[in-house]
Amino acid sequence: MGSVSRILSLPARLLAQVPGLGPVVQAAATSVGQKILMAVTGFLLCGFLVTHLAGNLLLYAGEERFNHYAESLHSWGVVLNAAEAGLLALFLAHIGLAISTTAMNRQARRHRYAEKDSKQDPTAIPGGASSWMVVTGILIAFFLILHVTDMRLKMNPVVDYEAAVQDGTMSEFRAVHLVLTSYATSWGYVVGLIALGIHLSHGVRSAFQTLGISHPRWNGLLDIAGQLFAWVITLGFLSLVVLAALRSVS
Amino acid sequence: MSGEHLSLTLRVWRQDGPEDPGRFETYQLDNVNPHMSFLEMLDVLNEQLIESGDEPVEFDHDCREGICGMCSLMINGQAHGPDRATTTCQLHMRRFRSGDTITIEPWRASAFPVVRDLVVDRSAFDRIIQAGGYVSVNTGNAPDGNAIPVPGTVQETAMDAAACIGCGACVAACKNASAMLFVSAKVSQLAMLPQGQAERTRRVLGMVTQMDEEGFGACTNTSECEAACPAEISVSHIARLNREYVRAALTAG
Repeated sequence: MGSVSRILSLPARLLAQVPGLGPVVQAAATSVGQKILMAVTGFLLCGFLVTHLAGNLLLYAGEERFNHYAESLHSWGVVLNAAEAGLLALFLAHIGLAISTTAMNRQARRHRYAEKDSKQDPTAIPGGASSWMVVTGILIAFFLILHVTDMRLKMNPVVDYEAAVQDGTMSEFRAVHLVLTSYATSWGYVVGLIALGIHLSHGVRSAFQTLGISHPRWNGLLDIAGQLFAWVITLGFLSLVVLAALRSVS
Repeated sequence: MSGEHLSLTLRVWRQDGPEDPGRFETYQLDNVNPHMSFLEMLDVLNEQLIESGDEPVEFDHDCREGICGMCSLMINGQAHGPDRATTTCQLHMRRFRSGDTITIEPWRASAFPVVRDLVVDRSAFDRIIQAGGYVSVNTGNAPDGNAIPVPGTVQETAMDAAACIGCGACVAACKNASAMLFVSAKVSQLAMLPQGQAERTRRVLGMVTQMDEEGFGACTNTSECEAACPAEISVSHIARLNREYVRAALTAG
């Protein structure tokens, strides 16, 4: 355990050597610091979701436009690989912080109540999403493994990727279509995306509060914006699954 | 409704000491006057226990008017009982119906170990306050009332934070047993006022570090603490604590 935590804390110890960053790294280790990092990585991941959805909406524009987008993205080469590595690091940091704070929370109440009730208005939005962050987070992690296997590695055993090859080159548009119309996979996507929506419906709003962004005049608007962001993103992605299903029918 | 005396079944947590695993005991209590406070009802139970030669139930209490923060109790799974903005001593038995079963547990948090029965050790809160250090206030003659200008709204918000009585209901109600509402109230009441500026940076870092050391959980922003708080401390103070913390992390040392 000692050597594992030494390896895991290596990035933090290296960062602490940078002039001026020592006290910041130290402050980031507390429960408050970890939640702030959780919020920052969460927001950055939301930024990824926006660009990812914006690019994927080109599926509506048809095969040529989408394949052109995919090709230009791939032409970035090393830059794209670096961005992917950065994205992976963000996910791992977000998950690592979740494990760390959840362990802290479990330790903080070793003896549970025989009876526990809430004094909050049960009809209040966003309901109980905050109680489901770990469960939805795990579902999203599984979905991501499926998603990367399907689309990035193209190693989903139930999808015949050969069928997407056109004139010797892979048509990304057709590959996406094949994945999204594979029965079991498409349901995995639906479940994963709904989990994402629930996760974001608490996470986005909560991240504002954790970063100290709170004002009586703006909090009501932030509530709405958090829900709106969560479900626009989710429905945007879900619509692509529906689009693929409709296209395979017609 | 209010004139009728109540018959109640009480499921009370009994624990002989910190090391004892503890268990629930069930007691029947008849002729409960609905005008009694919850603590007075427990007094009646204890008299009945003493008369029958049993050990009375230990529970914390002091002022019995909602300002000292001594009383606690998880009543049917809710800190200080079912009402909002109410301490257990302000809860009246007319809130219950004859025939009800009431489950009474101590605050449950690793940082609040059970001393005996329903009494928990909340000295972790005292150590957090101590970790915040002192406030530099000149002694001597009373200062002129308007020598230090403080806008009315700021003063009111600081006073709202200062209303915290340190009872621990926020920790008890939080699913993570987090002390963020308590700590944020203590940080806010001084960070907002000119008198608290000198130690502002040191205070927030010290209190948060001590909060972690005591073994409280992290904040998931469920706002359960705000709903349970008898002093109605707002979670906006938690946002302020987070701002104070970022500011301190970037400027300390």
